[in-house]
Amino acid sequence: MRLRFAVDTGGTFTDLVVAAPDGSRSMHKVATTPADPIGGVIGSLRAAAAAEGQPFAGYLARGDMLVHGTTHAINAIVTGNTARTAFLTTQGHPDILVFREGGRMEPFNFTVEYPEPYVPKALTFEVPGRIMVDGSERTALDEAAVVAILHRLAEAKVEAVAVCLLWSIVNPAHELAVGALIEQHLPGVPYTLSHRVNPSIREFRRAASTCMDASLKPIMGAYMRNLEGRLRAEGFAGRVLVVTSQGGVMDASHAAEMPVHLINSGPSMAPVAARAYGGTEETLIVGDTGGTTFDVSVVRRGRIPRTRETWLGQRFRSHMTGMPSVDVRSIGAGGGSIAWVDAGGLLHVGPRSAGAVPGPACYGRGGTMPTVTDAALLLGFIDAEFFLGGRMHLDRDAAAGAIEREVASKLGCSLDDAATAILDLATEHMVQAIFDITVNQGIDPTGASFVAGGGAAGLNCVAIARRLGCRQVIVPETGAGLAAAGALLSELSAHFQAMRYALSTAFDRDAINGVLDRLDAQCRDFAAGPGAGAQHSSVDWVAEARYPDQAWEIEVPLRTPRFAAEADVAALTADFHAAHQDVFAVSDPHSAVEAVGWSAEIRCRVASAEPGRLAAVDAGAALKPRRVRFADGWHEAAVHRFETLADGAVIFGPAMVESGFTSIVLDPGTRAVRDNMGSLLIEVSL
Amino acid sequence: MTAPRMDGIRLAVLTARFEGIARKMANTLQRTGRSGILTIARDFSCVILTAKHDLLATAESLPIHVLRGPDIMARTMAENHPVLRRGDAFLHNSPYHGCTHPADHSILIPVIDDSGVHRFTVLAKGHQADAGNSLPTTYMGAAKDVYAEGALIFPAVRIQENYQHVMDIVRMCQLRIRVPEQWWGDYLAILGAARIGEREMLAFGREVGWDVLEAYTGEWFDYSERRMIDTIRAMPAGRVTASATHDPFPGTPPEGVTINVAVDVKPDVAIIEVDLRDNPDAMPNGLNLSEACALSAPMTAIFNSIDHTVPKNAGSFRRITIHLRDGCIAGRPIHPASCSVATTNIADRVANPVQRAMAELGDGYGMAETGAVIPPSTGVISGTHNGVAFVNEVYIGYSGGAAAPTTDAWLTIMHVGNAGMCYEDSIEVDELRHPLLVHSRRLVQDSEGAGRTRGAPGVFAEFSPVGCEMTVAYVSDGNLNGAKGARGGGEGGKSSQFRRHADGELEPVPGCAEVVIGPDQAMVSVSCGGGGYGRPEARDPARVAHDVREGWVSRERAREVYRVAVGADGAVDVAGTAGLRGA
Repeated sequence: MRLRFAVDTGGTFTDLVVAAPDGSRSMHKVATTPADPIGGVIGSLRAAAAAEGQPFAGYLARGDMLVHGTTHAINAIVTGNTARTAFLTTQGHPDILVFREGGRMEPFNFTVEYPEPYVPKALTFEVPGRIMVDGSERTALDEAAVVAILHRLAEAKVEAVAVCLLWSIVNPAHELAVGALIEQHLPGVPYTLSHRVNPSIREFRRAASTCMDASLKPIMGAYMRNLEGRLRAEGFAGRVLVVTSQGGVMDASHAAEMPVHLINSGPSMAPVAARAYGGTEETLIVGDTGGTTFDVSVVRRGRIPRTRETWLGQRFRSHMTGMPSVDVRSIGAGGGSIAWVDAGGLLHVGPRSAGAVPGPACYGRGGTMPTVTDAALLLGFIDAEFFLGGRMHLDRDAAAGAIEREVASKLGCSLDDAATAILDLATEHMVQAIFDITVNQGIDPTGASFVAGGGAAGLNCVAIARRLGCRQVIVPETGAGLAAAGALLSELSAHFQAMRYALSTAFDRDAINGVLDRLDAQCRDFAAGPGAGAQHSSVDWVAEARYPDQAWEIEVPLRTPRFAAEADVAALTADFHAAHQDVFAVSDPHSAVEAVGWSAEIRCRVASAEPGRLAAVDAGAALKPRRVRFADGWHEAAVHRFETLADGAVIFGPAMVESGFTSIVLDPGTRAVRDNMGSLLIEVSL
Repeated sequence: MTAPRMDGIRLAVLTARFEGIARKMANTLQRTGRSGILTIARDFSCVILTAKHDLLATAESLPIHVLRGPDIMARTMAENHPVLRRGDAFLHNSPYHGCTHPADHSILIPVIDDSGVHRFTVLAKGHQADAGNSLPTTYMGAAKDVYAEGALIFPAVRIQENYQHVMDIVRMCQLRIRVPEQWWGDYLAILGAARIGEREMLAFGREVGWDVLEAYTGEWFDYSERRMIDTIRAMPAGRVTASATHDPFPGTPPEGVTINVAVDVKPDVAIIEVDLRDNPDAMPNGLNLSEACALSAPMTAIFNSIDHTVPKNAGSFRRITIHLRDGCIAGRPIHPASCSVATTNIADRVANPVQRAMAELGDGYGMAETGAVIPPSTGVISGTHNGVAFVNEVYIGYSGGAAAPTTDAWLTIMHVGNAGMCYEDSIEVDELRHPLLVHSRRLVQDSEGAGRTRGAPGVFAEFSPVGCEMTVAYVSDGNLNGAKGARGGGEGGKSSQFRRHADGELEPVPGCAEVVIGPDQAMVSVSCGGGGYGRPEARDPARVAHDVREGWVSRERAREVYRVAVGADGAVDVAGTAGLRGA
């Protein structure tokens, strides 16, 4: 066993977690370099080599695997740095990307512009030909018309082509024919066919995935080649993998061919890490608190739920990817969220953030608006002298001035009360985001564990857990770099799906088994290809099912990979009723059930599933007690170094636990123990 | 703490809790409903009211559904049932008692605390695919009265007692409503949403204390009223009258129905008044407004026209006065007047001139008019295919958005009372669920209301039944009267509708009809565009060029109407434009 690296490039920091041959971990943080993110990746590896006291090339040469999580794809979309892409659509339907699916938020807010289509109408072309719902051809594909369109694309200097035709998921003949013509008439121009990239019903979502994929191919292809090339040049000879939106990993070269899978590469790994630390027995709520956003995800008894409704920004006001991805909700709440009071005297926190620049008032970099971090400093949650392990000093007077001016004086309350209020309101916003992804989907947070990740998580993780009624908080020792820690544990995976309608009361087992056979063959090909040499591989089978006439399906795991007998159909039906009751608090057990989609996900384990332990470091001197303001007032709180806490050590709140990466507030009435995985388990007696 | 006023913090936190509960209700309804109109189009609303029937939280509901009406419905529930018990649920769709129109089946559940006190009421309301009308449509524009309309009317009727269905009522519905299993599924979804709201409210009250929540509601209403007062005080004073004309329909005079509104903004007393009394009496058709819609339509327009961050609840409503008249088409209906299409047609002709009048008060206020509805592309389709009956409202094509002072129209607004909250159907999902083929859905070039900011273009849609006949029922206003612009903005494109015969010939069909389309024919529907705001000559030339490149506006129209020359490369011809605009 050699070294394994996981590098997660975030908006502010690039986190690296290294697994040594003995399973031990080390964690490193360097500033992200937005202009050259791969430079940040290399920089984090240099920092690790330096910490080990080893020459860089030699250190890298010891590595046999590097897993990378990147926001490069989503950044390219947000900043408009994608390829000039054309969209080929079925004749009569040129406005699929314009209409989207309707829907709007804030019914009375007419100050927000309607979003532009992902591909402009000027680069949208209608293809004559029509496939019907049953796969029959109503109108033949007019190949001459397609060729004429392709000539216009060449004149328009199009750099990528997206093809999404109605019902290609039932009969792909027309899309395949268009693909062949693109190869013939626009050789070398990357293109994407919708039935390949996202074989699912609902033409807008499929078209959106297809256009995003095509538009990302040039830039992400270059990024992946650049990443591998520079790592090789520095001496790394191992396998380069990237994190996908679905919470797995794939080879960088493979990802370059399907870059739409990288859009949510960043936040999908936090739940993977949380599962390793929190176990698969119960429900875990995973919060990842950074400087500007709070990402929430869930692990349900070991399963990480997915969604197809992934927006790149605000709902309805941004683009939807249409791709299945780990269900992560993000809100604008974090250490940098700005607090302000409106004309009616109501306090607000966020969604505006001071970001890294100018940053909170206490950073002393020109920020004048008070933030959550400023409030935490006043309350004693953060030590002005020991922020990020003492690497940065904070200006308490600047924080106090900002809160006094912008909040306390306007609310007519004390500075302390204002600071507490800011934290409370930030907590409430985070709690509502958690409700969106738990309670609203029938997941009861009571009795769940809250896994706190991200540098700012410790400020209010106990407060959040108390509001939710969670049993305990888990702060993993790698919590400040949770996504990178997760990336080290993830599996090579591929997700294959097919549409085929089946009604429980008239179930054609042979037909469905045929569909499952084809998915199985795709899984086996994957296992023999990218998955070759895996320690272990497994396939999860899922039906997407609903009550007749419902519009939205829920995923029901199949107990067996084929329907050998009617009893297997009955089992699926029963499991659906139970799942519907579980999620929505209602079921209709006398109703038939219809399945519309089938999917198989193969997962090949290429690295250990054990999260390992951080290697011991010299943590320096003990920290002095300090005054901290909790809900019941000021206390003299003991301050413990996370790094030096022995396994099994017990701490009672009020207290603080601090590391070089984070600061954890233990309110009065809490009891924390360090477990044998290195996590701090906090009991939040209510 | 014994502070007389709850602080801004506590107020914000509790508000987030209430909104969260209403959102959770809505999520349950959308995910569990059966008919497309609920689960795909999201034509439903969920709200929380106080025990005194004041509107408290609405999540993201349809404005025409909720601003007013839920208060009247809750009061009706309490008056008709002096003893409310935990486990009760009430079915309400009576337009004479606060419901929008009979298609909007609503479930009200009183939240009863552990000592038996009625604390709050939760309400979930969803537009049904069918409501048992005499024809297979929930939009009976031609019904001369409620008897011809035919829907079962439930004025807050107990449908659950001790959490058990009153099966007598359920069986009556099942014998009257088409595709009863679809209704049953939707009923369960609406009931489930309200029950979720009840469960959450009970837990909330136990956790925080009912007295705290009661104190909160008072403070929240006061805060909301203060915000409204500040907003109105900053507005220009004035009284503006405006009118809008609904196309002639069965039962209307031949020239149609002109609705007059008088809007009076009084900053000195921080009140906005709207007078709707100068309007015709109720007519022998389904256009008459319910009281809920007569109140909500002008209020929607007012809130569209001012700072959107003012909370919408019983507190801010104190600063709005709407004058209605009994027996008026835009007032309080008297049974048996039919209110079948109360949420859309005349309601839109009330809301639109109100927001346009607000615009005339000063630049920066108000909005242009939103396009009229309901074209065939958002009508109710029905028929029998292979022996199986189907009925549902489809959302194949709509737009209609009006220009705002600083932003172009939100394209998919549908109509002013909807505010774009509904979803547009997926063609593939429609074709999978119904024997339907959608040939085309596209924007109509040059049908936008021109302006400094422009309205939405209209939508062309063409669709056919597959292997059967299909009835398309619709009530398409706007064939004759397009959406007007505000402050010099242009009018949006008008609607029209046709039957396409097998030989391709287009036969015009009436604006209010149930049309039977044969398997070799097609329904052709053109929906209204929205009005523009401000003079088109004042529009940023770069935006005009963008609209030309995107095909929304032709080069000729850019030149004639916007006075912008667009070059062959799609860019603004600066010299040419200066010449046009200088002239």
